[in-house]
Amino acid sequence: MQSRRLLSLLAPALAAGLLTSTSALAQAAFSCPQTGGDLIVGMEAGVPTLDQHTATSSATRNVAMNIFETLVIRDAAMTPTPDLAESIETSEDGLTYTFKLRDGISFHNGKPLTTADVVASFDRYKEVGVNRATLDVVEKWEATDDITFVITLKQAQPTFLESLSSYTVPIVILPAEEAAKPANQITPIGTGPFKFVEFVPDSHVRLERYDGYVANDTFGDLSGFAGHKQACVDTVTFRMLTEAGARMAALETGEVHIVENVPAISQERLAGTAGVEVVRLENFALNVAYPNWSAPPTDNALVRQAMLAALDMEEIMEAATDGAFKLNPSFQFPDTGYYSTAGEEFYNQADPEKARALLAEAGYTNEPIVLLTNQQFPNMYNSALVMAAQLQAAGMNAELRVLDWPTALATSEKETAGWNVFFTFWATVTAQGGPTSLRNLANPNNVYKPVNNEGDAAFNEAFARIQSGADLETRRAAFAEAQAIAFEQVMAIPFGIMQNAQGIRANVENYQPYYNTRVSNVWLEQ
Amino acid sequence: MTDIVATAPPRFARTRATLRRMFANRSFMLGAILFGFICLATLFGPMLIPTDPNALSIRNRFQPPSLTFLLGTDNLGRDMLARVLYGARLSLAIGLAVILLNALFGVLLGALAGYYRRLDNILMRIADALMAFPAVLLAIGIAAALGPSAMTAVIALSVVYIPRTARVVRASILVVRELDYVQAARAAGATDLRILWKHILPNCMAPLIVQLSFVFAYAILSEAVLSFLGLGAPPTVPSWGVLISEGRTYMREATWLTLVPGIAIAITVLGLNLLGDGLRDVLDPRMKVEQG
Amino acid sequence: MIGYTISRLLQAIPILILVSLMAFGIIYLIPGDAATVIGGPSATAEDLAQIRANLGLDQPLYMQIVTFYTNLFQGDLGRSLMLGIPVTEAIIQRSPITIGVAIYSLVITIVLGLVTGIIAALNHNRWIDQAATIFALIGVSLPNFWLALVLIVLFSVQLGWLPTGGYIPFTTDPWGWLRTTTLPALSLALLQAGLLTRITRSTMLEVLSQDYIRTARAKGLSEWVVVGKHALANVMMPVVTVLGLILSVLLSGSIVIESIFGVPGIGALLGNAISSRDYPMIQGGLLFVTAALLLLNIVVDVLYTWLDPRIRVGGGK
Repeated sequence: MQSRRLLSLLAPALAAGLLTSTSALAQAAFSCPQTGGDLIVGMEAGVPTLDQHTATSSATRNVAMNIFETLVIRDAAMTPTPDLAESIETSEDGLTYTFKLRDGISFHNGKPLTTADVVASFDRYKEVGVNRATLDVVEKWEATDDITFVITLKQAQPTFLESLSSYTVPIVILPAEEAAKPANQITPIGTGPFKFVEFVPDSHVRLERYDGYVANDTFGDLSGFAGHKQACVDTVTFRMLTEAGARMAALETGEVHIVENVPAISQERLAGTAGVEVVRLENFALNVAYPNWSAPPTDNALVRQAMLAALDMEEIMEAATDGAFKLNPSFQFPDTGYYSTAGEEFYNQADPEKARALLAEAGYTNEPIVLLTNQQFPNMYNSALVMAAQLQAAGMNAELRVLDWPTALATSEKETAGWNVFFTFWATVTAQGGPTSLRNLANPNNVYKPVNNEGDAAFNEAFARIQSGADLETRRAAFAEAQAIAFEQVMAIPFGIMQNAQGIRANVENYQPYYNTRVSNVWLEQ
Repeated sequence: MTDIVATAPPRFARTRATLRRMFANRSFMLGAILFGFICLATLFGPMLIPTDPNALSIRNRFQPPSLTFLLGTDNLGRDMLARVLYGARLSLAIGLAVILLNALFGVLLGALAGYYRRLDNILMRIADALMAFPAVLLAIGIAAALGPSAMTAVIALSVVYIPRTARVVRASILVVRELDYVQAARAAGATDLRILWKHILPNCMAPLIVQLSFVFAYAILSEAVLSFLGLGAPPTVPSWGVLISEGRTYMREATWLTLVPGIAIAITVLGLNLLGDGLRDVLDPRMKVEQG
Repeated sequence: MIGYTISRLLQAIPILILVSLMAFGIIYLIPGDAATVIGGPSATAEDLAQIRANLGLDQPLYMQIVTFYTNLFQGDLGRSLMLGIPVTEAIIQRSPITIGVAIYSLVITIVLGLVTGIIAALNHNRWIDQAATIFALIGVSLPNFWLALVLIVLFSVQLGWLPTGGYIPFTTDPWGWLRTTTLPALSLALLQAGLLTRITRSTMLEVLSQDYIRTARAKGLSEWVVVGKHALANVMMPVVTVLGLILSVLLSGSIVIESIFGVPGIGALLGNAISSRDYPMIQGGLLFVTAALLLLNIVVDVLYTWLDPRIRVGGGK
């Protein structure tokens, strides 16, 4: 009942999420048809750390989010959904959020979860948490009793639960004694369905079922990172197989049950291999580039618009993903709450003539346009290569500057000269809705390097309303407005949506692709 | 080592005899044919195949070898034949630049160390340090400081191999400098420079040439490994290393993408190694008895 | 002999200092830091600033250097930024793995190199000689990462004999260790076996042309006895000479090979430390690796001197 009250509170904000959650309620709770076995996952990247407060990397989440849980997280429809919390109440003035913990939850070390642990975890996140800016709007948090945790805001922020439940760097709850430890030095003890066994860097992480886990009965099944979670397999081994060829080979020989990131060209072959299936996540990430507003000639809006006019997104996406893509004139994924196509007239114009006209108007005199990219991420490299060819065809003096990823990112972050366009992709930030997806373009982040780091005023005004708008309609309108400005001023160029495929062995049951690897509710057919 | 001293060093006056032995040496001839083939293809290939190696053609992605595309196309529809031929220029140029730098600095440092005993210890300890430093890291550091480019690869690989070349030169100088005719020249009052230039260096040529033929081969291979790590030549004019490292994602489905540059590297390196082996057989004084 | 060993050990100290300074120079020339790697593509400037603060990278450069050397003189190499454990601990965990694979690989190298080299020399200038040479050289002619991927397709996917990667410690399961390390060891060995083949072949040819071998043959001793007893003993010398070189190339190669096969050795550790800009790990790992290689070279040299006292006269040490 209490969770219904929460949902009704959120309903005006997230209508789509409401539907999914109520239908989930109607189902019978999930129960493992079979248990046992060692599930082996082939990861595409090394796990840098299991300290979830300090890591943005998706490899960390892939493992750690099976160990840890949060008070509130996103469900399958990206709606904020209580996880460790039984209920969340918002005061009339929107300043106080009261969380009640679910009953009977214990950490993997056997100690029961209390609000003292929640307070300690929030204290730690405020100190070392990568997205600690989330808590800037918070006046204080306190435990009023063992199961009641209260957050008081400085001023009302209607999207507070959205940002609190963001899982880019989730505020996972640690036992108080672990929360006292500095960054990267915790023992990974959480409340999730799997407990930590061992971590051998550059090799593997092993987890095992936590028998004391209490599933959230308000849900029938897994939903996003929330829902009714259950560990069906005895152990899970996450193996780090960064070389795609070796990872695919391991799936084919049956050494691993699940592999992340199957290259597009291997999908057909693997789908035709006996005992192997390929599952796809349609909206995985946004392939993005952003111009540098401080360096000539991209300091000139007309030159930027000429660049955008020249681009044929289909060709760029085809090269970037080997065909696993969708065109999308938006900074959001389709069928999500904030989705808008405002400014789509600037997307995929493929009009070299218009580009030439704009260049003439801008007084462009063949200054080099430096495309800064790297080879670690082939999508970024191939996008830059094709974009360079398209710009050249429209009369622009485009050249490639290829550095390795850390150098390229640091250059785009710290230098305002030496590059004109930087290539990257946005995954979790886009998936999580309006405010997070445009965060990179707003003050103070301003990845497009406006002069003196003073971002576009109209954009920032609209962006502020995405967070402060009282209801979803207002916020959506603000998002559309901000997106249109981003397109028109060319603050960033969203080329399209990259899909992601995972390969699984036929004996793996109930595995559902998601932005991160989830091993709850997955069982092995024996 | 004393038995070398007893043998008279081959003089370059015996060039004709040496040439005859070269032609009789199967390793040398096979190596020369393989490497010669690659050199000819590199020099004249791009003239015969005027296709732009960087022309994108998204419609023609992943075409297997056919009459239209003799060696197929890559993930962006670029013609592999053109890419492998243009790539050869860069790969061979990198190899050549590395051995030129090696010849220059290797001989200079090796001669200084071998001839002047006082410098020996210092120079060889620096060489030890450079040789003990993992080559890949050295290359990464240099690549990061200068930005990844063909020049970076050349400098990094030179720094890695010069100490080894210098050691080879030093070792043969240590032997040659004690020989009777060198001692005689010294007694006759010849300057150090003249002794080094006229008497010692010519007799170090054999091991040097052999060493350089191997360095050439290693340089081409190492450039490929640097490319694998994203630190080799810039990808706009692809070296073989860049081609093979880009193609490996598609190794199973589009085999030709790695096979073509792989075979090109293998033929070149094999040719150079055989050439080096043959030269060693022909030029190395220790082999004379057997050959004679 | 003891004096020679001690003097070589003392000479190693300035080299280590030189290496550590080179490492510092290189590290601080490299733009980009661990935060950009941890942050990943979606990270904002705010995120990166927070990660830097967590890692202590917001300290000024000179403070980082002072901290490093202060700790170094207390025998502390610092704490890895990525792994969150002391660098020394990481090195102690990882190096036995690489040493194990390296020894295995060295055994394959020596067996393959000696056998092919001897066969080639005994059949000098016959087709077997050429065939053996070409066979040996094929390994040297292919980039190691490509060779590794080809071996995986061949031995794991097609034939199903060996696993594609992973690592099982010898102490847990010796058979599992052998199965998981065979492909990495082979990938590394094929690189080096060619070099050893060539050296063995030419030394063997030299030895076979010596008077005492001719005498032995003239006495009517069987070829097996001649080769086995008289020639082989002399062939071991050049093998010992190139041992140092082979080990240093093995180590460089392991950066690539270990990451492909998922072997958590010192190569993967150092390779990832470099690509993730884990400064303390690079520093410490480099010092350790260099020290280990120098030590090995000293052992090899001492062994060499012990086997052949002439070198001390000829080398002028």
